[in-house]
Amino acid sequence: MNGLDYDYMMGLAPILLKYLPLTLEMAAAGMLCALVLASLLAIIRVLRIPVLNGATLLFISFFRGTPLLVQLFLFYYGLPQVLAILTQVNGITATILGLTLHFSAYMAESIRAAIVGIDRSQTEAALSIGMTNAQLMRRIILPQATRVAVPTLMNYFIDMIKSTSLAFTLGVTELMGATQKEASGSFLYFEAFLVVAIIYWVVVETLSLLQRWLEKRLNKAFVR
Amino acid sequence: MNIRTMLAVFTLGATTLLGAPLAQADTLRVGMSGNYFPFTFVKQDKLQGFEVDVMNAIGEQTGDDVEFVTAQFSGLAGMLDTGRIDTIANQITITPERQAKYVFTQPYVYDGAQVVVKKGNDTIHGVEDLKGKTVAVNLGSNYEQLLEALPYADQINIKTYESNVEQDVALGRADAFVMDRVSATQVIKKTPLPLQLAGAPFSHIENALPFRDNDAGHAQRDRVDQALTTLRENGTLAKISEKWFGSDITQP
Amino acid sequence: MIKVEKLIKRYGANTVLNGIDLSIEKGEIIVVIGPSGTGKSTLLRCINFLECADSGRITLGGLSVDAARASKRDILTLRRQTAFVFQNYALFANKNALANVAERLIIVDGWPKARAHARAREILERIGLADKADAYPAALSGGQQQRVGIGRAMAANAELILFDEPTSALDPEWVDEVLGLMKALAAERQTMLVVTHEMQFARDVADRVIFMDGGRIVEQGPPDKLFTDPQDERTRAFLRKVLAQQPSLAP
Repeated sequence: MNGLDYDYMMGLAPILLKYLPLTLEMAAAGMLCALVLASLLAIIRVLRIPVLNGATLLFISFFRGTPLLVQLFLFYYGLPQVLAILTQVNGITATILGLTLHFSAYMAESIRAAIVGIDRSQTEAALSIGMTNAQLMRRIILPQATRVAVPTLMNYFIDMIKSTSLAFTLGVTELMGATQKEASGSFLYFEAFLVVAIIYWVVVETLSLLQRWLEKRLNKAFVR
Repeated sequence: MNIRTMLAVFTLGATTLLGAPLAQADTLRVGMSGNYFPFTFVKQDKLQGFEVDVMNAIGEQTGDDVEFVTAQFSGLAGMLDTGRIDTIANQITITPERQAKYVFTQPYVYDGAQVVVKKGNDTIHGVEDLKGKTVAVNLGSNYEQLLEALPYADQINIKTYESNVEQDVALGRADAFVMDRVSATQVIKKTPLPLQLAGAPFSHIENALPFRDNDAGHAQRDRVDQALTTLRENGTLAKISEKWFGSDITQP
Repeated sequence: MIKVEKLIKRYGANTVLNGIDLSIEKGEIIVVIGPSGTGKSTLLRCINFLECADSGRITLGGLSVDAARASKRDILTLRRQTAFVFQNYALFANKNALANVAERLIIVDGWPKARAHARAREILERIGLADKADAYPAALSGGQQQRVGIGRAMAANAELILFDEPTSALDPEWVDEVLGLMKALAAERQTMLVVTHEMQFARDVADRVIFMDGGRIVEQGPPDKLFTDPQDERTRAFLRKVLAQQPSLAP
């Protein structure tokens, strides 16, 4: 075993870092859309809205029951054969769409559990003072559900960041794709993947710090 | 929450995202993996290799702008099928299955399938010694089919990879890998990996550029094919081959 | 001013409210007593539409609705004229005491935040929790939480406040402060319908005591009369039992 090629690693890091923004942007966009969609799905499930509830169950079952890569291929390569207009969806959009659908299925269940976990009497209290269902959700339930769900949701976000590496199969050169290509040019696999691992690691650790800060802030109301 | 508003926002968002412009007709979108040394690879953030040079030379002949799209190899065929790229320059071997689906240019690489093993391996001397061994191939490549066509295929443990087959043989996770002789030679020469060729090439391979089997695809194919003829005649192909391989692999 | 007619509520085969007729005058303080499981709480919850009655009619503030077929809009209108005090306080855990009281003023009545907060501070002052304005429910004692719960009901400026066993979840040490606050409200002639087991409170404060059993109103009247001279055998049996546990009240 030869020693590590530090010069190569130092030279590679700035090159790979150029691809980090795209990775983070795709994850952030996916997370934002997934949060909105997941909240909607969760509310449909909690309120048991007829028809939509069944559709939501099917949606969740499908997107939890199939691998993300399969879903990405289905959207990007499969659907355009049925619906030609979809050819215009580019790889980045398809990745964000795939991440959104896939992760919203998981997140919907976490959010639902968080909502259901809130004492029913608070719902009654809100209704008794004349709040509408929407006001109840916005003012009482979702803020509290958020607090319960945030740690799980942050974990999904971290998972999502790592899942963006699948985008290279859709022709999007993001952090992992760039690393694979660089590694194949130098054949210094260990060095290249070590550099990219460190980059992912630092990003995730930074997020974990943010997560702890956020949890502390959200828990403010619940400390005795 | 107003569901109608939400829907409107989603529709608007989707429309915006869909609005990516289609490439113009005089742009040739070329798909490649970017991780197949020395045909297509990246060094210092720069895409390069034999295929890149060939495609750029073709672009100069036809006047097309050549736009390279890199994607995981297994995704390339899908991108071609769905019209996101116009052709694939990634040592695509002509096979009957592919000919049924795509239209090909003339071959511009003549090669053979090569068994490669870890340096010092003296049990495998060629394709006939692969019985009972684990053999790595790239996912979506035709080497898997070549192995499957062997009479003792059921005794070979074939492992398919997205990339990095060389690394896995060097690490001893697989006993051998199969790829084309030309790139195998290059890998052994240009990289620190402890690998060696095992025996002679066992199958004749011709690489060409596939296009979609429709009017636009045929037109592009004809244009590119003509350019290849010119490049062959004026010695450009041979020159590019010499540059990357030290020999001319573009002649039968 | 408040009228409940022929209210019926069933859970499956079990009829919890079996034709309740009740009218409440403005400023009247009514205490509902009776054995557990006789529909006292259900009556309150039906008036507030936390439960939907199977049939009957509810009239409040000039709006009269069929309780089984009330539209969402009617339900909101009726709810906004009543307020509910829960057995387990049911404060909004994500809001401090001030915000719990002000919430309705801001969200339902559309008051500007500053005005709502000023009003909420007045209420906290009155319930003796001015210094706890910034405290979240988790940091308050049971008695303090229930006082905030009553403060929240007071902010509604409701025609009628419904109290559903407001002291039965409290440790004994906190019961008096909550009852004291309710007495103060009663002294201001706030219309109240109270379900409780506190017979002393019923005796001291109520204008009328209602005895319920088996989903029906068995007997009702001024506390003096009902406690000293109950007409129905079931009332007598119930009173014998509870007054044995609260001997100071024995007639």
